[in-house]
Amino acid sequence: MKQQTKLAQKQETVAAQKTQSNTAKEFANSDELLRFDAAQTTVPPEIARRLQKSAANIPAPPRPWWKNLFGG
Amino acid sequence: MVCQTVVESLVDNPIEVECAGRPVLELASDGFAELYQAHSREIFYLTLRLLGETHKAEDATHDVFLKAFKKWGDFRGDSSARAWLYRIAINHCHNLRQSWHSRNLVTGADEAIWENAAAASDSPLRVLETKELGQRIQKTLDALSDEYQLLLLLVADEELSYDEIAALVGQSADAVRGKLHRARKAFAAHFEKTV
Repeated sequence: MKQQTKLAQKQETVAAQKTQSNTAKEFANSDELLRFDAAQTTVPPEIARRLQKSAANIPAPPRPWWKNLFGG
Repeated sequence: MVCQTVVESLVDNPIEVECAGRPVLELASDGFAELYQAHSREIFYLTLRLLGETHKAEDATHDVFLKAFKKWGDFRGDSSARAWLYRIAINHCHNLRQSWHSRNLVTGADEAIWENAAAASDSPLRVLETKELGQRIQKTLDALSDEYQLLLLLVADEELSYDEIAALVGQSADAVRGKLHRARKAFAAHFEKTV
């Protein structure tokens, strides 16, 4: 009996999680929809690692002359 | 483990990009790691939706920032860093797509059909399941012309002004506004069909 209750609770939790991830939404236009999509997108950290490796083989770009002159 | 303390120091005082409190990017150039941190998301998103596949977007984002790294010393701030990176990303994706298109015959979508479709650009877009939203958006964008795709993606970035978008696509701001109206309409019509 206890096991059945636990199982039912678990099923409820899973169903609730599923509902949360599949919530219906309404977007005023494509801009809003794409903004939402962009906000959900995460940048894979692998890119930064690869970039680090690639940049290590390239000499640091020289400091621009105008930065030397005007600072910044 | 994706976050990794990186590499021997390239300069005396490298700037670091952190992931969960651990550095993943240290670059030997003034402010470049900050640039990556501030703009990698929008560049990754643009490349993802223009190229359609995560691994292609990863490669492209890497290449875009590497190009930017090489040119960083020459960047004079005539445009915003954001617009500058978008310019590099757009050119990069354009070149990649051109080489694919020349290898695989791709027929362009007939925009006129969709512009005259019933869906109005001001009707709301209803999404019942956000789980597969990315796929639906990709399918919709793939059905549009390159020009419409780019306009819609750029205008979705609220940080970009119409003038900046116009400069990026090589058209006047008025022309951009006019085309956007049609692009939104075409998007809405295609999107409805992806359910």
